[in-house]
Amino acid sequence: MSEQVSLLLESLREKAERGSLLYIGENIARIDSLEKVLGKPVYTSDLIPKGTIYAKLFHSSVPHGKIKGMELGTAKAHPGVLGVLTWRDIPGLNESSAVLPDRQLFAESIVRSTADILGAVVAETLASAADAAARIKVDYESLPAIFDPLESLRPDALRIHPKGNIARQMKIRKGDVQDGFSKSDVILEKTYRTQFQDATPLEPEMGLAIPEDGGIKVIGSMQSPHHTQAAVAKVLKLPPEKVRVIQAVTGGAFGPKSDETPFDVCSTAALAAMKYRRPVFCGLDREDSMVMHTKRHPFVISHKTGVTSDGRLLADESRIVGDTGAYASLGVFVIVRATFHTIGAYEVPNVKADSYLVYTNNTYTGSLRGFGGPQAIFAIESQIEELARKLGMDPLEFRLKNMLVPGKKSATGALMDASCGLPQCVEKVVTSSDYWRKVAQYRNQTGNIRRGLGTALLMHGNSLGPEGNDYGAVHMEIESDGTISVGTGLTEYGTGAVSGMMQVASSVLGVPLARFKLERPDTSKHRESGPTVASRVVVIGGNAAFKAAEQLKNRLVPLAGELLKVRREDIVIADGVVFDRHSPSVSISWDILISEAYRRGIGLREDGFFMAPAAPWDLKTGQGTPYVQYTWGALVVEVEVDTDTGYYNVIGVHAAYDVGKAVNPGGVLGQIYGGTVQGLGYAMMEELLHKDGFVVNPNLADYYIPTSMDIPSEFKAFIVEVPGPLGPFGAKIIAEPPIVLPAPAVRNAVLNATGVSVDDLPVTSEKVLMGAALKRSSPIQGPPRA
Amino acid sequence: MTVIASGTDLIPRMRKRQIAPSVLVDISSFQDDLRYIRQSDQVVRLGALATLTDVLESPVFKDELSILHEAAGLFGAPQVRNVATVGGNVCSATSSEDLIPVFMALGASLKLIGAEGERITPLKEFIVGKRATAMRSSEILAEIQFEYPRERSWTGFEKLGRRNMLFISLVSMALSLSLEKDFAVRSARVALNRVAGRIPDLAEKTEDFLVGRKLSEETIAQAQTVLASELALTSDFRGSATYRTEVAKVFLKRLLQRCYGKIRGLA
Amino acid sequence: MAKRVVTMNVNGTVHSVQVNSPDRLIDVLRDHLGLKSVKEGCGTGDCGICAVLVDGKLVNSCLMLAGQCDGRRAMTLEGLLDDPTMKKLQASFVANSAAQCGFCTPAMLMASWDLARRSNGPSTDEIKIAISGILCRCTGYYQIIDSIRQGCREGEP
Repeated sequence: MSEQVSLLLESLREKAERGSLLYIGENIARIDSLEKVLGKPVYTSDLIPKGTIYAKLFHSSVPHGKIKGMELGTAKAHPGVLGVLTWRDIPGLNESSAVLPDRQLFAESIVRSTADILGAVVAETLASAADAAARIKVDYESLPAIFDPLESLRPDALRIHPKGNIARQMKIRKGDVQDGFSKSDVILEKTYRTQFQDATPLEPEMGLAIPEDGGIKVIGSMQSPHHTQAAVAKVLKLPPEKVRVIQAVTGGAFGPKSDETPFDVCSTAALAAMKYRRPVFCGLDREDSMVMHTKRHPFVISHKTGVTSDGRLLADESRIVGDTGAYASLGVFVIVRATFHTIGAYEVPNVKADSYLVYTNNTYTGSLRGFGGPQAIFAIESQIEELARKLGMDPLEFRLKNMLVPGKKSATGALMDASCGLPQCVEKVVTSSDYWRKVAQYRNQTGNIRRGLGTALLMHGNSLGPEGNDYGAVHMEIESDGTISVGTGLTEYGTGAVSGMMQVASSVLGVPLARFKLERPDTSKHRESGPTVASRVVVIGGNAAFKAAEQLKNRLVPLAGELLKVRREDIVIADGVVFDRHSPSVSISWDILISEAYRRGIGLREDGFFMAPAAPWDLKTGQGTPYVQYTWGALVVEVEVDTDTGYYNVIGVHAAYDVGKAVNPGGVLGQIYGGTVQGLGYAMMEELLHKDGFVVNPNLADYYIPTSMDIPSEFKAFIVEVPGPLGPFGAKIIAEPPIVLPAPAVRNAVLNATGVSVDDLPVTSEKVLMGAALKRSSPIQGPPRA
Repeated sequence: MTVIASGTDLIPRMRKRQIAPSVLVDISSFQDDLRYIRQSDQVVRLGALATLTDVLESPVFKDELSILHEAAGLFGAPQVRNVATVGGNVCSATSSEDLIPVFMALGASLKLIGAEGERITPLKEFIVGKRATAMRSSEILAEIQFEYPRERSWTGFEKLGRRNMLFISLVSMALSLSLEKDFAVRSARVALNRVAGRIPDLAEKTEDFLVGRKLSEETIAQAQTVLASELALTSDFRGSATYRTEVAKVFLKRLLQRCYGKIRGLA
Repeated sequence: MAKRVVTMNVNGTVHSVQVNSPDRLIDVLRDHLGLKSVKEGCGTGDCGICAVLVDGKLVNSCLMLAGQCDGRRAMTLEGLLDDPTMKKLQASFVANSAAQCGFCTPAMLMASWDLARRSNGPSTDEIKIAISGILCRCTGYYQIIDSIRQGCREGEP
């Protein structure tokens, strides 16, 4: 036997040992990488057919008002314009809302924010639609408006919605905080504030609608085709089967593309398409996108925390207020996640939390990576840091003393078990950052350049948790040439998760990912699989894909056994070879197996479905298990501050995340790098500002996201794997978590470098310098004791 | 008449409907006539169409003129530098055009060509307000010229914004220092993106204070106080007037020390 | 709306295109010539997603009026698909997971190719500067930088 052959046989034997873990942990190239590096025309705006007309949305120019009248004649008469659509043109329901039915597609009589859409100009070209839209005059009766969520919370505040300004309330009641405070030696009360963040996917929102078969085909940039289908069907008054929605390759999402904006653009395009019987493109330019799509909720979070003098957390009482802007959108769930994470990754025996999602007349907020986690964790991790200082304890030491480890209980009273990988994450970053040595060294700095380290710990409840049924569906079929076609309503928009999910299937089936192909998510072909949000594709979709692959394998193994005259238990499929595990030279190729299956009429289509176990919790006390598993993480950042100007850079990042099982480590790292940098933007420079309800900086010249010159020169990322109960092979979610910790870690690092506490994001150079100036004018405080 | 060279400033404003010119006169093809960087007889000349990349790569801007490399390298990003012109920078007349303070610190004058012929005007007099210049109708900016710095001179540049690249300066300062043989200040030009109001200008009171003095910690601190009283900055969403003034003071000190050190080092 | 004819060399072929006055180079490339690799992210020159090469220089195609392109040479990703350096860069991007949503990828590849032409084995700082005008929201840039470093190295393509 030649050397090559024996090596091959040995390799097959070894692969047989791996079982379904065959390709797990491999950096297999994503299925969609090639089309991207080749610049293929696969995004929505690349698919516009000849003869397409354009719909340009126009929106309110007052933050709160009654619409008295609209002068549309000038616009309608503009060259190239076919018409102007308003609420009167809606045959079905004038509604475009993701959760609560509090938002219209086209405002009929009231506008509650400057993002409220009034209608759309439809024209032969985008330029004439835009020119005409600029000529529309709307007459408003301005109403008083509220822009501060705390003002909105007051009982005498003007009502933004008929049912009042609190869209949702939540609470946690664990133990007895008064008792906890009475036993505390130190109590600290502080308030933290976070800002509006814009998701800034590089491709703005857009939809293309084409009349088809008495119905409509919609192609768009989105996260949830089935939700978009339902929304469009409602507006058009068509049965859902008449509305076919296809997700085109999507250039980034981060949340807003799972909220109302895709409904808005797709419904508008569809309305115009039905009316004019032509393909219609409705897209947002960057400015419109930044005004109209949902942002991250700004929060005001107050903590009162009690701790013993030796550093044990006894009680925490928090009031959490989230500004959901004019409409609730996904805010009703953002507030839930924020509340459950109010004490972060720590054990506190007595917890009281009251949270309020309030309406204001700012532009509305909704889903954005992290979904309430970044805000909640910023507050608690800052509070932890302040408490440590007050106690004269090292902040890491304080964290180690109180953090959740197996055996401790969370804010909801859930017992952490062996799947809690937080200690391992902490160990990695403490070592990597050379934490203890540097902290000692930085205690004695002179000169105007100061360095500091900041830490933050993460607990992030996985998947939808308490938000509803958490399921995924994946359809798999093997074609006659051996290609495995995967179809699902779950969408890819950059995370690589769908490829990861397919890698699970590939591993279970034993066939390389290169033999797989992904169908574009299409509501006419793929069953509803829930929204692609909450980082759930690998964990929930992966389980569904696992099942589908297993089911397919079960159909093929008996045939293979028959063909090879081998017992079923001994049949292995690996690398596209079907063989006897005890004697790998007894084998046939995958292709031959499939063609034989076809010849015999063996069905090769399977549907995998997975629903996560229910996450029960008590509405009155917030106690229970709202999440079935958690992703854990630890971050240490090092900053270098020019104390003369307050300007600083993050010079080092040390990040460790317990992802349970890294299906594709390169993909996991991609999420860690990308999420961390987006989190650094949130920490340092991003701020979508409103003034009197108008977005001040809806453009990329004045809204700053990190460039390649802003990323830390040192970034050490560690993947920790402590298997969890939910995902395939113990996998936990990773797409959202890395955005959470940078803000508090940076804030704490700046504090340690300069003595300045910045309690509202972003931590700008001005706040650092002005904070130092304020400190200089108050009595001298010594540095905290070692 | 609206002139377009690169469009990096004009096109975004047209898209935002801030301006709607019916005619654009494109001068970008006059490369031979208007795109050059030359030094001769102690005068440095930049054709108005010289791009920021031309400035970054020019061998003329070394040593005492390395400020132009520094400032160009911090301006925009590669794709912007490749097309943005020095003339466009100057004619935009806003506080976000970093080269204006640099040219002011270098004591630049502008050659304008029009129907009535040529004229030379100091840069400082050319910028009359936000987006307002002393350009006459049917004139274009042809050249930016300045004298090569005298011996015992150095010019430095600092800017600060919200991130490291591609940012609108909150504060940018160009400082040109010239010393006598005994190292007292012979002349100083202190140019900022904003002094009083929202346009680039020279901080003349601070300049006058410095002339004739020997630089020490004390005189620098006094100069900072003069600058702070001379600045009448406004607050906006990017930053407060107080912060901008503090940063300007820091830049003044840094640049005085840096220029002084360079001149002494070369002496 | 005034119309004019612009003649330019795009990816090695001369094209005469009738454009409307306000059309930009990106409109000529995408709409008139079907070169969809050129993407629009902001329309104001702040994101670099539309970057192409004009007369050998990387420029934002959303900031160049079509009327200014007469007689110029433009190069997009489509024109470099057979170029060995580009192929090496593309393979490196795939191997290093540098394309996530892919929207910045063509611009990043154009900037990388431009850098590879000018520099043999660029440093991390040189790479960062070369892509400093192109925003990426997905990757955090690290894997892109690794891809470019590997893709620019001498040796086997």
